[in-house]
Amino acid sequence: MSATDPDPGAPIAPGSPLARKLDDFAAPSLSVGFADRVLAAAEARAAPDLAPLPPLRRAPARRRGWRVGQRVVIGLASFTALASAAAATGLLERFDIPVPSAEKVWASLTGKPAKVAAAPVAPPPVPAAQASAAAALAPVEIVGPIDTPEELSEAFRRIDAVRDGRFAARQSRIDQRIDAEIERRRAAGLRVPTSEEEAQLRERIDNAQARRKQRVDDVVAARREELARKVESGEALTRQDVLQPLREDAQALQRQQRLRELRRLSPEERREALRRLPPAERRALIEEFRARRAEAAAAPSPAPSVEPSAAPTPSE
Amino acid sequence: MTASGEPSPTAHRPAEGGGDAVLAARLAAREAEALRAVIAQHGPVLHRIAFRMTGDDHEAEDIVQEAVLRLWDQAPTIAARHSVGSPAAGTLRLGGWLTRVVSNLAIDRLRRTRRLSDAEVPDSADGAPLADALIAAEQRDGQARALIAALPDRQRAAIVLTYYEEMPNVEAAAALDMNIKAFESLLHRARAALRQAFAAQGDAP
Repeated sequence: MSATDPDPGAPIAPGSPLARKLDDFAAPSLSVGFADRVLAAAEARAAPDLAPLPPLRRAPARRRGWRVGQRVVIGLASFTALASAAAATGLLERFDIPVPSAEKVWASLTGKPAKVAAAPVAPPPVPAAQASAAAALAPVEIVGPIDTPEELSEAFRRIDAVRDGRFAARQSRIDQRIDAEIERRRAAGLRVPTSEEEAQLRERIDNAQARRKQRVDDVVAARREELARKVESGEALTRQDVLQPLREDAQALQRQQRLRELRRLSPEERREALRRLPPAERRALIEEFRARRAEAAAAPSPAPSVEPSAAPTPSE
Repeated sequence: MTASGEPSPTAHRPAEGGGDAVLAARLAAREAEALRAVIAQHGPVLHRIAFRMTGDDHEAEDIVQEAVLRLWDQAPTIAARHSVGSPAAGTLRLGGWLTRVVSNLAIDRLRRTRRLSDAEVPDSADGAPLADALIAAEQRDGQARALIAALPDRQRAAIVLTYYEEMPNVEAAAALDMNIKAFESLLHRARAALRQAFAAQGDAP
């Protein structure tokens, strides 16, 4: 914005420095053979589109009496099916409603003693890999206090198993999405990435995932050292101590990062940035700042740890 | 104004006298030449819009191809609604329809790319030696491209449609499925953001 153009949203004047800058953004032309490729793709999908739709199956007009009767019959059949299913699954016995078995009914008719019911058939065993994957995706099981290093390491082992399972599941989902997208593009007649491009894409995603995992691992390692020290000093930890603080630490790290970013902004920019934040996050940041300011005020050193003019105030 | 050396955006204007309705009827009859005519008439403009929105040539071609194929799929329905000779035939504008589809597809892809991409991924390095003039031109192009890329998706679309393609606000608003007041507000914000980013680059307008 210049002094001669007070309205920042005014149209961009031709020949102005901004217009000259924008005009440097040249667009290439369509590649040779583009129309032929589109025509080929259109031809490939022309056949199913041209297939005539089947005629509508309109039900013949029926009398009202039969329609009502039909609904009654369907309702009765549904109720019977549900009742049979409830009896078969033992639901009625849970409510203390006696349900005679077929053997008992037959014995009462013939006068012979009822046969002993056969042992229930065991369900087929679940494949080991599937079972371990499901177990890994289940919540971490930690029961009772943790007050020995062995128990703590066992808790960490269970957490790691769940984390590895979740990481593998995430990888699998990413692979499935990439495959589905390639398949969608192929079906739509669009350009599909070459094997090299696909490998590059997967490598980039893998690298990003690895970096993310590394960041989390660093936070987790620091937290675990702290927990181990607590256990060694004789403190008993609960499930919440082991699991919950990880998430809180991650949020605290994010808040610290955000505070650092805010300090670098001018007061106007900071006020605007705070306004754009969700209310809960804004409140948390302000609370964090208040706590830091209180710590700085209580500290014996005369040098302030945060710049008062640069930090967000509660009124902001 | 448009970037130098590009065809006038008036090439994207609708055919008069229900010409687009005739074209739609030919598309509905699965005439390959009609599709070729559509690509010849609208393809360059659509490609420029998609390219300036996404900044990627391949992505832009994909978007144009998908938009044209959607027109091919929808042609029977469009032709039925704007049958040749009817009053509705004169209102059909295939260019506007395609622009709307391309704008929406480009915004969708930008959002999807942002979800999947990682900000730390570096650009691929090009080790080939370049002439000084080419390097300077690329730097200028990169700065202009960065100005556009810094805008939010819809603001970017507003600038691309009104500045680069010189579309009237009414048509650009229709392309983005917005009412004119909301679009003008969006355009105002987009220009202001553009000026701010330009000033931040160190060249006051």
